[in-house]
Amino acid sequence: MTQIALSNLGKKFGAFTALAQMNLTIGDGEFVALLGPSGCGKSTTMNMIAGMVAPTEGDIRFDDRSILNVPMSRRGVGFVFQNYAIFTHMSVRDNLSYGLRAQGVSTPERNRRVSAMADLLQLTPMLDRQAAGLSVNILQRLAIGRSAVVEPAIFLLDEPLSNVDAAFRSVMRSELKELQRQFSQTMVYVTHDQLEAMTMADRIAVMDHGKLLQVGTPLEIYNNPQDIFVARFIGSPGMNILEGRIAQSDKGKLVDLAVIGRSAPLILSGRAAIEDLPEKILFGFRPEQVNPDPNGTLALPVNFVERIGARSILHLGADSMGVKAVLDNQITLPNIGDILRFSIDPKKVRLFDPVSGNAVGGAD
Amino acid sequence: MILLLLAISLVPTLWMLSMAFKPIAEWSASGAELTWWPKSPTLDNFRFIFGQSSSELIVSLERTAARPIMASLLAASFGTLIAMTAGTAAAYGLSRFGKGSNLPLALIQLRLFPPMAVMIPLMIMWAFLGLIDNWFGLAVVYGIVTLPFAFWLMKTFFDDMPREIEDAALVEGCSRLRVFTRITLPMMRPALASSALFVFILNWSDYLIALLLTTRDWVTIPVYMTSLSSSMTGQLYGAKAALGLIAAIPPVILGIAIQKHLVRGLTFGALKE
Repeated sequence: MTQIALSNLGKKFGAFTALAQMNLTIGDGEFVALLGPSGCGKSTTMNMIAGMVAPTEGDIRFDDRSILNVPMSRRGVGFVFQNYAIFTHMSVRDNLSYGLRAQGVSTPERNRRVSAMADLLQLTPMLDRQAAGLSVNILQRLAIGRSAVVEPAIFLLDEPLSNVDAAFRSVMRSELKELQRQFSQTMVYVTHDQLEAMTMADRIAVMDHGKLLQVGTPLEIYNNPQDIFVARFIGSPGMNILEGRIAQSDKGKLVDLAVIGRSAPLILSGRAAIEDLPEKILFGFRPEQVNPDPNGTLALPVNFVERIGARSILHLGADSMGVKAVLDNQITLPNIGDILRFSIDPKKVRLFDPVSGNAVGGAD
Repeated sequence: MILLLLAISLVPTLWMLSMAFKPIAEWSASGAELTWWPKSPTLDNFRFIFGQSSSELIVSLERTAARPIMASLLAASFGTLIAMTAGTAAAYGLSRFGKGSNLPLALIQLRLFPPMAVMIPLMIMWAFLGLIDNWFGLAVVYGIVTLPFAFWLMKTFFDDMPREIEDAALVEGCSRLRVFTRITLPMMRPALASSALFVFILNWSDYLIALLLTTRDWVTIPVYMTSLSSSMTGQLYGAKAALGLIAAIPPVILGIAIQKHLVRGLTFGALKE
């Protein structure tokens, strides 16, 4: 029920810049995931929104009101921590009602909301148990409930699922989505797990080294990475990136992948074919786009095969290049040492400037 | 091996236990043989230190043990209270806000001096203040002397406690003070209990400070213990053993009372992650 606007937000710890020039507007009721490797500044951003850390530059606005001078207890945000931060000396019920009590909510109202939240999160059977002895999964559920029960307009979650086990993670993903549907809060979710970001978020903000690299819907980020880091980071495995050269031929503009020796050039299509491109280029394609084809213009030896159930990941080419291909198990897989001939739909190719790392040539 | 170590560490305690209940003939050298266990157990030693002269011991005491026991209890408890209150507050401030970062070293420095070097000037100061032979004066010194221990113990416990727990309460609209009293302190109960026990035992067993700062009315148990002798009889070992047994009671009771917390205190840091 609140829009969050970060403008030129920055944080320095001494000489170390944790976050620089962050500009992001999170819409009312939107679910935004801050995604990036550890140390990318995503948690710092979150802590600044909550008020635990003061920014060294820039501004944070909730609905056009700067909240930099508002102490964290008055910002009206809910915060879920990675390590739950459960008050272990209290019962589950006391934990759930803690925020309501601090806000002076009347007893009948408090009881009503606590039991409603306990029902929603299936905590009712253990309401009167001490929090100290509960399992990690229950603790995190309780932590989410404790923050959600005060119905904050802004709900911040800092890697809430990274300590719980894999099976429970998928349960919690749908429960969190359900929670947001019910209360329609503005949600900011910090994670390093792209699966969580992809499945839950309306928009994903990818960060690295204190910089915001790209903001977009999960599909936009996946299909059209604006930056070579985003291209490699999103997807599992990430996008293959090869060095190439742009050349002209009678069939049109093409990428010469001479660097992998055995491969023949690939003709470009779409905007990439007409746009002005630097001569040296980074050539990117998703492992899923590798299409085994006896007449394909590209060929690489198979080094290693990882079988992961319905699909297999093939490691191709010389070890330094690390080209990967994801293939269905329906087709006959090549053996180690075989040469895999393949083609790539030129429309699915993404090109990057090797100097700036930015995407060039557009996408279809 | 374990049994041997157990025997070595338990024998002196058991010897005291046995001594306390022996009649004079058995604990003094006059009985030619060594008795391991009292042959005719008696409470004479206890009666003696509380003022009833026994038939066999002709000496009678100038003062009974009642007053020193009270002095010890008052001084040690109040000293523990002072050390724990100040130590906990200081440790919290330093651990959470980084204020007073020179404090830890300064407090440790206090312990680097040989106690005697500090005690004499202190004694003169206390004499000026009229705090000599006064349980309160003794308690204040105990509080000061054990403050570094309370501070250091509590600081490690506070450092181990995840900040997120307090942040979580703050975000939900609690004031700093309320967070401290409602969340931090209750969660630190095991830590507080184990630190307090440690500090109390230090205070309880002090001899040097009490010897210098008390003269007559408020001597403590350890000081009083040395007066249990006479030129006629020499050391009154039976009476000493009886007093020693009594002196062991408060720490043991305290220890049992907070045993549940002690076990948690030892594993405190491991509980969170």
